[in-house]
Amino acid sequence: MRHFSEVCALMRRKNKKQYALLAGCCFFSVLLITAYVCMMRAPTVLNVLPEGGDSRKQVMMIFALAVIGCAVFTTYAAGLFLRQKSRETGVLLALGASRAQVWGELGRELGVLSLGSCAAGAALGGPLAWVLWQFFRLAVVDSEEMRLTFDPSAYVLSLAFSAFVMVMIFFLGRRSVKRTNIIDIVQESHKSEPIRDVPRWYGPVGIVLLALGGFLGYMSSSFFILVLHWYPPEGLTAVFYVPALIGLYMILLHTVVNGWNGKKKLYRDLIATSQMRFQGRQTVRNMLVMTLLIAGAYFGSFYAPMLGTGSMMGYDRRPVDYAYHFRADQDIPLEAEVRALAEEYGVTITDFAAVPMLRLAVDGNDHIEEEGPVGTTWRTEYLEVLNSNLFLSASGYEALTGERVDLAPGEIRGVLDAEGTALGFRPDATLLTNYLTKERLAVTPLEPLRYDSLFERYVMNDGDFARLGAGLPDEWRETQVCFNVENCAGTYEFAKALFNEIVDRSTLDVAQFDGWDPVVRDRDIAKDGFYFLDRENCGSAGFTVIDYGQRDSSAFRLDWQYMPEFRILDKMDFVKTLAVFLILFVFIAVVCFSAVFVIAYTRCMTIALTNAKVYDDLRHLGASNAYLRRSVRGQVKRVFLVPALVGTGLIYAFYVMIMYFNGSPAGITSSEAAGLLTALAVIAAVSALMVGVYRLTLAQVCRALGIRR
Amino acid sequence: MLTVENLRKSYQVGKTSYEVLKGVSLQVETGEFVAVMGPSGSGKTTLLNCISCYIPADSGRLCLGKTELARLDEDALAEVRNKQLGFVFQDFLLLDGLTVRQNILLPAIIGGLVSDMTEARADQLCEVFGIAGIRDKYPAEISGGEKQRTAVARALINHPLLILADEPTGNLDSKSSRAVIRSFEQAKSALEATIFMVTHDSYAASFCDRVVILRDGVVWRTLEKGATEREKFQDLLLDAVREMGRE
Ligand SMILES: Nc1ncnc2c1ncn2[C@@H]1O[C@H](COP(=O)(O)OP(=O)(O)OP(=O)(O)O)[C@@H](O)[C@H]1O
Ligand SMILES: [Mg+2]
Repeated sequence: MRHFSEVCALMRRKNKKQYALLAGCCFFSVLLITAYVCMMRAPTVLNVLPEGGDSRKQVMMIFALAVIGCAVFTTYAAGLFLRQKSRETGVLLALGASRAQVWGELGRELGVLSLGSCAAGAALGGPLAWVLWQFFRLAVVDSEEMRLTFDPSAYVLSLAFSAFVMVMIFFLGRRSVKRTNIIDIVQESHKSEPIRDVPRWYGPVGIVLLALGGFLGYMSSSFFILVLHWYPPEGLTAVFYVPALIGLYMILLHTVVNGWNGKKKLYRDLIATSQMRFQGRQTVRNMLVMTLLIAGAYFGSFYAPMLGTGSMMGYDRRPVDYAYHFRADQDIPLEAEVRALAEEYGVTITDFAAVPMLRLAVDGNDHIEEEGPVGTTWRTEYLEVLNSNLFLSASGYEALTGERVDLAPGEIRGVLDAEGTALGFRPDATLLTNYLTKERLAVTPLEPLRYDSLFERYVMNDGDFARLGAGLPDEWRETQVCFNVENCAGTYEFAKALFNEIVDRSTLDVAQFDGWDPVVRDRDIAKDGFYFLDRENCGSAGFTVIDYGQRDSSAFRLDWQYMPEFRILDKMDFVKTLAVFLILFVFIAVVCFSAVFVIAYTRCMTIALTNAKVYDDLRHLGASNAYLRRSVRGQVKRVFLVPALVGTGLIYAFYVMIMYFNGSPAGITSSEAAGLLTALAVIAAVSALMVGVYRLTLAQVCRALGIRR
Repeated sequence: MLTVENLRKSYQVGKTSYEVLKGVSLQVETGEFVAVMGPSGSGKTTLLNCISCYIPADSGRLCLGKTELARLDEDALAEVRNKQLGFVFQDFLLLDGLTVRQNILLPAIIGGLVSDMTEARADQLCEVFGIAGIRDKYPAEISGGEKQRTAVARALINHPLLILADEPTGNLDSKSSRAVIRSFEQAKSALEATIFMVTHDSYAASFCDRVVILRDGVVWRTLEKGATEREKFQDLLLDAVREMGRE
């Protein structure tokens, strides 16, 4: 052995476990990030995540979380690696190796290691995403729109992350060699970073801050918009979450340093506690990342079951099996044709009702946004002709629902859904206008009705209906059809055929986005020269362009203004049309949870590696196997349990809060309660998995330390 | 050869700073064999670390021959450490991944000049210190004294002009101690090497030309051996140590 590089090779062999750990960490984090990016940037997925929509924001937020998590975690791994390497580096420097010489070798090692592992991670990330996706397709649901396509630009983000990992490792490596105090370098690996004493009030105050931050963060945007009439700049509301983050940090600090169960058990936990303390800030930072990742992962995993139970309950709750409406100028199947088609499919229609509706302009407060010195603010302005709604006559309502409504002339009632949620619809019109004849009628809105299939419509007095409707052309009239069938569950083929027939016979005039309103359109065009929901503008405004060729896509089914509501069709196609959502969020959860598991596992193995000597000494001092086991379990448990408990509790509380405040009036509806229960089931399943990983890790750590089971 | 003038060094622990060296001045001539004694914690290791520039001193002047060490850049300093200095660390600092023989060769490998002669010298040093039998073992597999002898052998491999040794005989029996002292004396006579050795052991110190005693961060007393016999010198040293303890 005569060359410096040979010495380095020998040392590499000695430390191969540490090299493997660092390489593994880099590989894993780049792999996860790449897989996530590939998924997130896939056109398949982007299609179902509307630009600027909440779900895309959530996906981006969790992605940011995953990136931060992986970045912290690789930085930690690199720091640990260099720490363990620093004694060797210091000895070489002390014996007169120049920094250039040492850095030459170390830099090359780090270069090869990081380049290799990052490249492998980036290369396998795409295939991993694809394999996972295929697995879900096979296991859950398959449909044409589920075909995963990749966008090569995804790799830009993946490369950026790899670049970060490499630059970070290089930077830390360079810094570790650069220091002038050689004795410090030699002794670095023995040094620990103790945390200063943490007052006991940190725990309770942390909890208060956490709750406060969560509440403030969530409520601040409604406060700004609803109370101050001001649209805060993007990111400002995030500031209100900061107390939550600080609170979380305080809680973890308190847990690591003081523990929650007073001073009673100090002796028994002495070793676990003091060792945790001496691993210092890193431990707390690691736990913080794990907690946030767990919370993010749950946030992702709740999405699907919440949406699923909510929608399914909604379909079941519908009072009629089949409901559809169409503009009077459209040639859409009516009773005779529907019955003929039903016969063809062997379906028995039990009752059938088709009633006319009018599209009338209503008054209300217009919402006007203004750019000013403080950003975007808004004010309201009362307009006698604000927008339009569909109106049923009282007798028409009775024909459809069987429910008798007595309305005197000049009285109207809006229709909410069965749970009484308004979802942006305020049934409080006081002035109705026939948009073409300009005939007007002042009305009094009474207590709203509740009927799912007629949501957002009004009911009015029969005489008013006839008078105000006089002279209204077909484009302003619609027909509402409701019917029931025998054995609804067995009528999927019929439902599908009728749906296709309706779509096929609809003209392009009615290929409109839900919410397209001719009254608003006229006003917008008069003012700005264009209407953002017109077909030619929809796309650029970020709304679905309704295309009859895409009738099975989730976008079409969610957003077409005349989408029929056929219970069996919606139910059967629900999983399919929303599968992309479901799987995307499940995928995100899988990514986040695997990151959590890997972080926890490496963290615990590090404890084992760095404390091997302590446990040896304890054994020589006569500590029993049971004592050592308890001590190890205490440490491993803390690494797992604290983030799991805090993260889970945190996100569940947050979800309950969202569910409570999201509708008006505030409260938990039955479908939300069902969703929350399903979320509990998800928690139970994931927690069981976590316990499994915890056991496995504990066994591994015990084996590494030579402690018997 | 080595000039230390008014050297000061303090350690910062938290917010308080502890002054360990409070103005140490001493001079070591070329070819001189000097021992440094002093109570534990008096700053002997700190002094050695400052001389070799492992830790930065707060103030004072350090000259090796005519070169002022503070003026050298990093590379030149590394060159000096590798070619002109030989270290024996109090806690040895052997590399766990290398065998005894490889550890001994390490300074030569770092310097990039390993010839057959270097390897032969390594083997010869192993013979001298009685570690030939364990030269293919790893540090984890040898005793404290064996590690110490390995460290001494490593310090000598590059024929240094100044040997800085921190308690090189601390863990050794009298026979091994004598082997270490003898090899220092050999280096001194053959190469005009200068030896600066920290020790607690008045026996080892009694072989030196001069003994510097540190106390409370300054040089408390210097004893010259001159023509005194070794045994007599050792008694003088013991008296001095006893006197220091009484005060
Ligand atoms: N890195 C450090 N940080 C803070 N204080 C230190 C550091 N290193 C040494 N000291 C303190 O400086 C003083 C001198 O330490 P030094 O190691 O130089 O003593 P010494 O004379 O070599 O002792 P010994 O004979 O026991 O080896 C001691 O009180 C020690 O506690
Ligand atoms: Mg010392």
